[in-house]
Amino acid sequence: MVRHFLPDNSLGQFLDGLSLFGALHGPVRTTEGVEVFGPVRTESDLLLNYRRTLIPPKKYLLPPRQTILNYTVAAGYTLPDEPEPHIILFGVHPCDLQGIAYLDRVFLGDRPDRLYRRRREAITLVGLSCEPDEFCFCTSDENIPRNADLFLQHVEHGFLVSAVTSKGEEMLDGLGKLLASSRITPQTSAEHRMMTRIREVARSGKTFPDSPLWERFAARCLSCGACSVCCPTCYCFDVLENGALDGTTADRFREWDNCLFRAHGEVAGGTNFRPDRRERFHYRYLHKYLGFGTLAGVPACVGCGRCRVVCPVDIDLTELFTEDGDACS
Amino acid sequence: MTRPTLAIAGLTACFGCQLTLFNCEAELPTLAECFDFTYFPMGNSRHDIGGEFSAALVEGAVSTPDDLETLIRLRSRSRILIAFGTCARWGGVAAMNNHLSREAMAESVYGKGTVLTGSFNPGPLDRFVTVDFSITGCPPEKNELLATLAALLHGTLPVFPQYPVCTECRNRECLCLLIERGEPCLGPITQAGCNARCPAVSIKCEGCRGPVTEANVASELEMLQEKGISREELIRRMRRFYPEWDYGQRA
Repeated sequence: MVRHFLPDNSLGQFLDGLSLFGALHGPVRTTEGVEVFGPVRTESDLLLNYRRTLIPPKKYLLPPRQTILNYTVAAGYTLPDEPEPHIILFGVHPCDLQGIAYLDRVFLGDRPDRLYRRRREAITLVGLSCEPDEFCFCTSDENIPRNADLFLQHVEHGFLVSAVTSKGEEMLDGLGKLLASSRITPQTSAEHRMMTRIREVARSGKTFPDSPLWERFAARCLSCGACSVCCPTCYCFDVLENGALDGTTADRFREWDNCLFRAHGEVAGGTNFRPDRRERFHYRYLHKYLGFGTLAGVPACVGCGRCRVVCPVDIDLTELFTEDGDACS
Repeated sequence: MTRPTLAIAGLTACFGCQLTLFNCEAELPTLAECFDFTYFPMGNSRHDIGGEFSAALVEGAVSTPDDLETLIRLRSRSRILIAFGTCARWGGVAAMNNHLSREAMAESVYGKGTVLTGSFNPGPLDRFVTVDFSITGCPPEKNELLATLAALLHGTLPVFPQYPVCTECRNRECLCLLIERGEPCLGPITQAGCNARCPAVSIKCEGCRGPVTEANVASELEMLQEKGISREELIRRMRRFYPEWDYGQRA
């Protein structure tokens, strides 16, 4: 892959060039000090050395709450048809790129979700390398999905820019004057032991049924939903419908759900497939680390560390692995 | 088509919940067309409970014989009885001191030798009658009130969130006051639906919407005590809108 060198002082012009292709979004800080993906007004808004945003980029593809159908008596149920604005999402870390690749498999697989596809096609991904901290356990460089249109790697005094897709190449075409050819070979990083362990566990299908940790998790968990809201690959949603005050029309919408909520496993008549938190944790583990359905054996965890950072009661499902005689820290 | 008939009434309350209806300025003309506000002492001059109601929205706690009589009359004339607001659903502010002696409280307000009236400890509606549906909140959210009224027109009732305020707070990417500031935020044990109205402006959740389903009360208390907040302080905060928490409850 051809890599070009972009000096630090040309980044502003580079971003201006990118914004010709859509509204520029990236990691920014809110007035309360929370690091989030949001609109970038000036280069100085961008957090080039951020660790992780609170919510991953999935919010651009599957919003927390989204109208999925409109109902009228005359037309019945119809798909909302607002066009999605083009967005250039800058600064997406490898773990979040991997999260998007997973969501793509879920929503664009055998029965594509039309609303997801519409949003996915309207977004251009510009990846950015990162420095891990004590909460993350990233995959190896070889496993980084090639789904960024452009990828920027931090190097001394600038970035190495590579175009991964034809869309990426098209964007670079107009930016050639900012780039120099480069012979620098970026450093590659080895896979974190924890990620290797998770892959092993997924392959072997281990479920740790006798671990005392399940009870401990269940006793502490507040079912606050933070772990799934902030997870790059949690995609469970609930579907609800509200009638309008005109008495005839209605909107059906979906909103993010969490497997630790009681209502997640609840069906008609109040019966529940997973009546207590212990069972819900087990279910979370099975889905997140072992996968099921067409994604059986594919761990959904990308090692971003968000669930460990945002849990108010310090629950960490990866303790299951360390407890099993393998210190992955 | 005959319009659904509504009763909207307040018991021991501040009438703020009913004010929520008046605050739906944009929708009021539509509401006036869609519904017959048959009994609504705060909104019109007819003050007798006559006829039958498609639904009654009742605000406030029950704390006097008059409250109880009004409630029973509304219940017996209404197809659907809706507890409207935190006092009606959980007891609310009026009930925060239910654990204290009524004699001592009366004396502290009215002086020695006070003769108690027939009032009793304020309680939620479902302590006395069957309640079909609730809109919680102090005050309730406009969108939940409007969703309920719209659902009545469709012959159904809405489904409201059964998760805590934290979920909405995280969805909005607010600063977590618990983790980042160590504040005694009651978001994890409080019913969502307000879209994290207070935490979104860096004010800790006071629990005005009452307990969420399966609130892990014991874990919330342990977590906040580990942050150095006393159990007494926490219980005092929690009791403000709901006096009957089970402090050992985990599910």
